[in-house]
Amino acid sequence: MSLRVLVVEDDREIRTLVQSALALEGFEVQTAVTLSEASALLQHSPPDLVILDLGLPDGDGLQLVQQVRRQSSLPIVVVSARHQEAQKIALLDAGADDYLSKPFSVAELLARMRVALRHRGTALAAAVTEHVLDDLRVDLVTRTVTRDGLPVHLTPTEFKLLACLVRSAGRVLTHRQLLADVWGPEYTEHTHYLRLYMGQLRAKIERDPAEPRHLLTETGVGYRLAED
Amino acid sequence: MNLRAVAVPAPLRPWLAVASLLALATALCQALDAQVSLTSQAMIYVLAVVIAAYRLAWPASVACAVGAVVALNFFFVPPRWTFEVESQEHFIALAVMLVVALVISRLAGGLRHETQAARLNEQRARQLQRLASELVSATQPQAVCQLGQAALTAAFAGPCQLVLANSHGEPEPGEGLEPLVRDGLRSCMKERAVLGPGTGRWPGLDAWYLPLRDQDDVFGAACVRPALANDEGGREHAQALCALLAQALGRLRMGQAMQAARSEADRQQLQSTFLAAISHDLRTPLAAIVAAASSLQTQRERLDAAAQARLLQGIVNEADYLSSMSDNTLQLLRLAQPGQSLQLGWESLEEIVGAVLGRVRQHDTARRIRARVPDGLPLVRADAVLLSQLLANLLDNALKYSEGEVELMVALRDGCVALCVKDRGPGIPEAEREAVFQPYMRGDRSGRRGTGLGLAVCRAIAQAHGAQLLLRPRAGGGSSFCLQLPIEAQPHTPEAPA
Repeated sequence: MSLRVLVVEDDREIRTLVQSALALEGFEVQTAVTLSEASALLQHSPPDLVILDLGLPDGDGLQLVQQVRRQSSLPIVVVSARHQEAQKIALLDAGADDYLSKPFSVAELLARMRVALRHRGTALAAAVTEHVLDDLRVDLVTRTVTRDGLPVHLTPTEFKLLACLVRSAGRVLTHRQLLADVWGPEYTEHTHYLRLYMGQLRAKIERDPAEPRHLLTETGVGYRLAED
Repeated sequence: MNLRAVAVPAPLRPWLAVASLLALATALCQALDAQVSLTSQAMIYVLAVVIAAYRLAWPASVACAVGAVVALNFFFVPPRWTFEVESQEHFIALAVMLVVALVISRLAGGLRHETQAARLNEQRARQLQRLASELVSATQPQAVCQLGQAALTAAFAGPCQLVLANSHGEPEPGEGLEPLVRDGLRSCMKERAVLGPGTGRWPGLDAWYLPLRDQDDVFGAACVRPALANDEGGREHAQALCALLAQALGRLRMGQAMQAARSEADRQQLQSTFLAAISHDLRTPLAAIVAAASSLQTQRERLDAAAQARLLQGIVNEADYLSSMSDNTLQLLRLAQPGQSLQLGWESLEEIVGAVLGRVRQHDTARRIRARVPDGLPLVRADAVLLSQLLANLLDNALKYSEGEVELMVALRDGCVALCVKDRGPGIPEAEREAVFQPYMRGDRSGRRGTGLGLAVCRAIAQAHGAQLLLRPRAGGGSSFCLQLPIEAQPHTPEAPA
C-alpha cells in the first residue's frame, strides 16, 4: 500500500508540480489550498505525511500543527520562503518535523520526507541508539564516540547534546528544543550555550570544524546531524 | 587685637556715614580754626556734602547738607555755639550749601542710575551673545527649550515658563501649567504679539507673555515675571531672548524639512535605479530561462542528451541567480526601512562560515575557496541570517569575478573580529571603490552579469551591525573585502569549556 501525502499549498503551479513529482515516486497525493480545507481532510482521511506551506491565505499554519499534534505524531514538513525564520521556528517548536526553504529541488523535498517518515512514531518504536556516517560512529548504549576508529572523549554535556542530535539524525532541531533537552526548559533563551558546546563538539568530531560534515548549522533556526 | 568689624544693620549705614563725615569735617575745621577764615571752613563742609551727595542716596545727602549747615552755624558762625545767624551773608552761604548738596546729589544719583543701567544692558547683551552661541549646538527643540528656560531664569527673578507649541499651535498639554498661564501662552501664540504690562494688550496681567515667533511661524511662548509697565528694557530683553530662541527653532525645523526632502529624493533615486535594474537584471535571466525551456519544448527530439542536460542546467542556474537577486533586493529594501530591527543573538563565526560554505560549495565545484578559521574565536552579537547573506554575497562575487583561489579568513585584531574574503581577480580601480557599494553598480566592464545589489546589501548589513566593511586592493593583484565586527563582553557560560 502506498503512503498518502497531503500537500497544503495555495500556489497552483507549485502544487501541481509537487503532486506530479510525488506521484511519480509512488506516493498517493491529496492536495488542499487552504488551512480549513486541510483541516477537514485531516479529520476525514488522515494521511501519512503533511507538506505544509507557510503563508496560506487563511493563516500561518500554527493552529493546524497544534491540532495535529494533539492527536498524532503524523510527520509535518513545513515549506517556507526565506526570511520567515520566526514563523518557521514557531511551527517547528509546536511540533512540525522539518522545514524546507523555497526555492527547493524535488531531491531536497524527497530527502526531507524520507527523514520525517523514518522518525514517524519514534515515541512508540525502539529508539535510535546508533549513528554511523563516514568516519564518525556514535553508540548511545555504550556511550562511545569514535572518529576513524579512535575513541573521542566527550564531557557529559557534550555527549548529551550529541545524543539529542543522534536521536533525531537528519532532522532539524531548533535552538529551543536542544536547550530544553540538554539544559532544561528554563535555559531556552541561552543560545550562546549552544554556540559554545557545538563549537567544542565540532572541534572534537569534525575533520575541518569550519566546514562541518556532521554537525550542520541551520542558520537562524537550529542544528541538524547529517546522515548522508 | 580684635579687628572684627562692628556689625551695622544695612539701613543705618548711610546715616552713620553722614554722622562720621560731619564729625570729621567739624574736627578738621576746629583744628584749623586759628589759621583759616570762616569761608575756608565752609568749603570743608561743602566738601563733606559733595562726598555724601556723590556716594549716598538723596535723603542722606540732603540730611548731610542740612547737618553741615547746622554744624557750621552752631560751631563756627558768630555768634558761636548758637543757632542764630548774625548776618545775611552767612544766611545766603548756608542756603547755597543746601542747594549745592541737592544738585550734586541729584547729578550723582543720575550718574549712578545710568551706570547701573549700562551694566545691566551689558549683562543682557552678553547673555544674548552667549545664548546665541549655545543655540548653535542645539540639535533638538527640547534642547533649545532647556537653554531658553535657563536664560529666562537667569535674566528675570521669575517664575518664568517656556513651552513649545504642538502641531495645533497650542502649548503641549500636561506640563503642569496654571490655567491662567496656559491661557496667556495660548493667546499670545494666537495673537502673535507680546501681552502684558506696558504692551497695550492685557495690561492687567502680572507677567509678560511672549510668542517665540520667527517670520510666519510660532514655535512656542514664554511667560516672564516680574513684569513692570515702565521696565521697557526688561521687556525688550525678554523679546530679544525669545526672538533668538524662535530663530533657533526655525533653523531646526528647516533642517528637518531639508533632511526629509533629501531622504525622499534618495528614496526616489533608489526606486528609479531599482526599476532600471529590474528591467535589465531580471529580464535577462528570464529571457535565458524562456529560451532554454522553449527549446526543450519544441526541439527535444532533435537534441542529444548532453544538449538537453546543458539547457536544463542553464534553467536551474538562471533561476538560482534570480532567487539570490530577489533575496538581495528584498533585504536591501528591508534594511533601508526606518526602524528595522535585527534578530541579534550570540553567534559563532565558525558556524556561520560553515553554513555558508555548505551552500556556496554547490557553485564551487572546483573547490577554489580556501577557508581559514582559527580555534577559540569569541562569540559575536549579530543577526546570523544577515551575516550569512553578507558572507555568501562576498564569496559569490569573488567566485564570479576572479579565476584563481579565493581565501576566506577569520582573524582577531584590535578588539575586532575580521572576516575577510580575498580574490585574485582584476581588482577594482580606486575611483570605483566607493561606487561598487552603491546599488546596481559593478566593477566589471565585461558585460558579465552580477548581483548588482550584492555589495550594497553587504554594506547595509555591516552598517546595521555597527561594523565596517572595507575594500582594499591586494599586493600582487585582486581585492580584499573585510568585515570588522566589534567584540563585546562575552556572555556568562555554565562551565569552563573543556
